[in-house]
Amino acid sequence: MANINLKKREIECKIVYYGPGRCGKTTNLEYIFKTFRKQAIGEMVSANTEGDRTLFFDFLPLGLGKIKGYDVRLQLYTVPGQVKYSSTRKMVLREVDGLVFVADSIKVRRKANIESLRDLHQNLKEYGLSIAKVPLVMQHNKRDLGKQGIPLLPVEQMERDLNRQLKVPFFPASAIKGQGVGDTLKTCIKLTLQSMKKQLGW
Amino acid sequence: MNEEDVKKKVKLYIQEADLYQSQGLLNEAKETYLSAGKLVKKHESVLKNKNLLKMISKKLQALKGKIDRVENEPETVNLPKNVQDIIKNKFAFSQNDDTGALEGAIALAKFGQFEAALGEFNELINRDSIRVEAAKNIIRCHKALDTIDDAVAVYQEWFDSDFFTPDQLNKLRVFFQGILDGQGIDIKLSEKPDIAKPPLNDAAESEAETPEIADSELDEEEIIDISSVGITLNEGPKKGETIEYDVSFQAGSVINLLISSDDKAFMETLRTGVMLNEVQFYSPIAMFNGRAVVSSKSEIESGPKQGYYSLDIKVVSIL
Repeated sequence: MANINLKKREIECKIVYYGPGRCGKTTNLEYIFKTFRKQAIGEMVSANTEGDRTLFFDFLPLGLGKIKGYDVRLQLYTVPGQVKYSSTRKMVLREVDGLVFVADSIKVRRKANIESLRDLHQNLKEYGLSIAKVPLVMQHNKRDLGKQGIPLLPVEQMERDLNRQLKVPFFPASAIKGQGVGDTLKTCIKLTLQSMKKQLGW
Repeated sequence: MNEEDVKKKVKLYIQEADLYQSQGLLNEAKETYLSAGKLVKKHESVLKNKNLLKMISKKLQALKGKIDRVENEPETVNLPKNVQDIIKNKFAFSQNDDTGALEGAIALAKFGQFEAALGEFNELINRDSIRVEAAKNIIRCHKALDTIDDAVAVYQEWFDSDFFTPDQLNKLRVFFQGILDGQGIDIKLSEKPDIAKPPLNDAAESEAETPEIADSELDEEEIIDISSVGITLNEGPKKGETIEYDVSFQAGSVINLLISSDDKAFMETLRTGVMLNEVQFYSPIAMFNGRAVVSSKSEIESGPKQGYYSLDIKVVSIL
């Protein structure tokens, strides 16, 4: 549930980018920070390892303007994708309002995608949330790599693997080039705000 | 396959592996280089270029170095203050000022920022409602920082002053003494003479007289510090047996246990959400029975406890 400060008339929504290691979650946030500078209400903060892997999370605060007199603020987070950072992923997921699942289109990452989605499902369940009910958008990232000769999973295959039951909106993307990044975020914001309005009875 | 076909296939493998490496997919790159190497070996007799295998082996060697670096990266680093501030402010969810501040400081500790957390707890100890919890966390931080002597000195300062009530101080002593004993440190903490220590039997009896508390009514503050648990199995090959484990970490009613990979069959019966109806909880002053639910489990993938299972159980009722 979004954090509402009645005194300051502020609403804070938390959107988390989830997915397997090296799928491009941080690249999504970097592109958003670069492109939506006007909306950024603070710097993007990252806690990376020397190998440029996300250690804890990335954080980017955005301002969305006013809704019903309330200043709506968005907090975008990424989780560390490496399997060993399970407890950190769970901590970042707490009180989440909306989710983007970034799947890696590279063929050899098929299993990692499925396992990461299962991990998300389990972590949400432990917070009493259902993956079928949380606002969720799927992004099939790295579509550009096919041109470089890396075997990719067809989008249809990825949809069958990851989205057959959830049936959430999905976007083929290339986060490094910015393709699909904006559409993914906008759709997630739309779903998150719709869910928030419903919860608030607006 | 003739020489041209083999060369073409090897080239494709190497290109693919290089691309995986550029994506940071180091294990995938390694597998692909190995496939290239196997192909070269298989067709060694038809290949004129004898340097191919050497070149692949060189690439594998360099890659191995990268993989080692990634696998041995520290799991915690000292973060800059702006990141610590985000952890402190954004990972505290309580609307209550004191509880929220305590949550923020605990979040710092959970993210391995023990020095910063220690600074916070040292401030929070001045707030009445969270004084004891902050003090326990000061001890936990010293334990994590391997500065247990400092914790002993801090305890002695508390003991010599009137900062804590005798009852609060006794709680802290029992908690801290449990940690010292658990680590095999031969230090006996000072004890106020006027505090009546509950004899083990009395403590156990007084707990036994407590009626079962409904799940939602279990007050986290009421859960004393537990040093070990005994779980009686409801299913599996060891059904009916009670297995004991030392507590690795406790946060309120959630207890973390580290279980050896030798107990894999046992772990398989402990799925998330499974209710454990017969659990014995042992603390330095009492033993009591209760129920707990498996709240999470995961396999430790690296570090000295690699291969162990990390199991969280939440105490839902005490008998």
